[in-house]
Amino acid sequence: MKLRRTPKFYGSLLSRYALIILIALVFIPVALPASFLASWLVSRTVFPDSGIHERSVYGNASELTAAWHKEALQLRTASEEQIGRRLGELKNQYPGSFIFRVNHEGRTTIRLPEQTGLPDVWSTEQLVSYMKNHQDGDPFTIVAFIGDNENTQRGFIVLEVPRSLLLRPIGDGSDRFYGVMLGLLVLFFAGISYWFIRGIRRRLLRLSAAMASPSKSGIPLPIQVGKPDEIGLLEETFNDMVEQLDTSRRREQEEERLRKTLISNLSHDLRTPLTVIGSHLYSLKNESLSDHGQASIQLVESKMKDLDHLIDHLLSYNLLTSGKYALSRQHQDVIRLVRESAAAWYPLWEKEGMLPDIDLGESPLNWNVDGQAFRRVLDNLFQNAVRHASSGAYIGLFTEERHGRTALTIKDRGPGLSAGSSSKGAGLGLAIVDLLLREMGLCREAASGPEGTTLWIYPKPERF
Amino acid sequence: MHGKEGLLLNTAIKLLYIEDDLEIGSWVNEDLRKRGYEVVWLKNGDQALAEAASCQLVILDVMLPGLDGFTVGQRLKRSKADLPILMLSARSSIDDKLQGLQFADDYLTKPFHPDELAARVDVLLRRVGAHDAQPLAIKHLLVYQQENRVVDQTTGEEIMLTGKQYQIFHYLLRHLGQIMTKEQIYEAVWDEPYWDGDKTLMVHIRYLREKIEQDPANPEIIETIRGVGYRIKA
Repeated sequence: MKLRRTPKFYGSLLSRYALIILIALVFIPVALPASFLASWLVSRTVFPDSGIHERSVYGNASELTAAWHKEALQLRTASEEQIGRRLGELKNQYPGSFIFRVNHEGRTTIRLPEQTGLPDVWSTEQLVSYMKNHQDGDPFTIVAFIGDNENTQRGFIVLEVPRSLLLRPIGDGSDRFYGVMLGLLVLFFAGISYWFIRGIRRRLLRLSAAMASPSKSGIPLPIQVGKPDEIGLLEETFNDMVEQLDTSRRREQEEERLRKTLISNLSHDLRTPLTVIGSHLYSLKNESLSDHGQASIQLVESKMKDLDHLIDHLLSYNLLTSGKYALSRQHQDVIRLVRESAAAWYPLWEKEGMLPDIDLGESPLNWNVDGQAFRRVLDNLFQNAVRHASSGAYIGLFTEERHGRTALTIKDRGPGLSAGSSSKGAGLGLAIVDLLLREMGLCREAASGPEGTTLWIYPKPERF
Repeated sequence: MHGKEGLLLNTAIKLLYIEDDLEIGSWVNEDLRKRGYEVVWLKNGDQALAEAASCQLVILDVMLPGLDGFTVGQRLKRSKADLPILMLSARSSIDDKLQGLQFADDYLTKPFHPDELAARVDVLLRRVGAHDAQPLAIKHLLVYQQENRVVDQTTGEEIMLTGKQYQIFHYLLRHLGQIMTKEQIYEAVWDEPYWDGDKTLMVHIRYLREKIEQDPANPEIIETIRGVGYRIKA
């Protein structure tokens, strides 16, 4: 295995995420005024004021206040006529305004334009009431003593301007979009974060998909390694793992091949002498022998057959238990397999005097099995029936409901499984049957008594 | 196929037998010759292709010096696809059987009984029609397979069969003595997948029996194997 480097900080996910956070932090002092400015600009764009030219004469509230107080200061020594003239000029200058003058005695001397509603002579209450009503109200009201000082004792001049005519100072009322702008900025960062996380997510999902979709060999295919960050490393590790799996699978296949060859050779070496013995037995049988001699040959022949089956079972069992025999399961009609197998065994059953009773119905029974393995199961079971139950002179093949499933039933009238039988070796044959059935998700149930043995084969409950 | 009849029937049928084990080889060679076959026995697969040209069936051992039996068999099939091959092997593991049957027509494991070998050779030869030259006697019938003729020996009259009836009869004769399932017969004759509960085959068999059986209610030629299929016994 290659040595793993930790990813360089530059280009790692950590560094990139840190960068995003850092930019967001640095941006806060910029973001706040920037959003304010943006808000003002948007405000100006969205609400362009039609009276902007007229209003520019007035300036904003503080400018106008300063200007009015300056006028009052300049009128410190002016005569009443001069004041009247100046106020007239100012009225022309601020045409939308209302200007009036109250003298030292509390008498309203000038109203521009002329209007009622103001007391001719101001009482203290009226004055206080006026001041209270106009404070921070609309119209915007500026009261200034002549000479800009109450000590001159020359009364005061008042300017009333509708607030709509005033310029708003920057920020005044234009902050209505401030929240929106700040929100947009936050959204912008949220978007970047999302884009960043989505990138990670997509790569992880790709990796997950690669892991979940094995190739024909059952091992996932290597994937293309992307950026050299943490996920890139994960991808590399994944590829390494796939490679190792592949190597080990190949090694396993090699072992499987060797084992199969070994077993084949072993089988060959055991069976060849058996065949030769068999051939000589056959020749001997054709010679003139005493009854005793014929009986001996019969016995040797039957033992040879047992030995042959035992060798076959032993080698198959070895192959199966080592997991070196791969089943290729597919959905198929097992009734068809049973029928074909029964057709092959039928002559032997007849020869052994067993009456076959076969009723498998007409509807197919689809199970997920390996055809070859299923035939092997049937062969072993039929073989057992012939060897141990031929005395019952009966073999039955049916389909039956068993625990809510359709089961294949094999019935004989032999002395039962518990009864000792002259030919041994049934155990290994049954062990192979059970092993193969388990591999195919099937199970075997047996009921045995002196009247015979019944076997049920059906799909294991959890698979269906 | 014992005795004189078999001897007569098997004359002029040449088998190619490839086996390296001398003891087994000489025994099988002798036994097959006794049954009336002409046997060419080779100890390895080198000359197999050349000899196969004049033979009607090959009996092939798997474990051979030089080229193994599988390779020899595949080469033989490639050069002469209709030549039946019977694999004879001492290797019986499940995979070997599968590998053999990918190209071989039958597979017999050692040790075997010579009668079993002879029976399988006979079945294979029948399947490819090697026996077709001689008329086949089944109960009261005489079947001329090459001429597609069936004659009732008791009356001497020819029995006329329809196309499907003849095909079913012919298929069962090709597998004389073997039980064929309903699915196998249907798919061989109709050349389409068998649907469950298909009554077509039953109907055809009934009409076929009415023509060839002396007593269609108790058929003697086409035997019903209940729950499995049908068989014509030799």
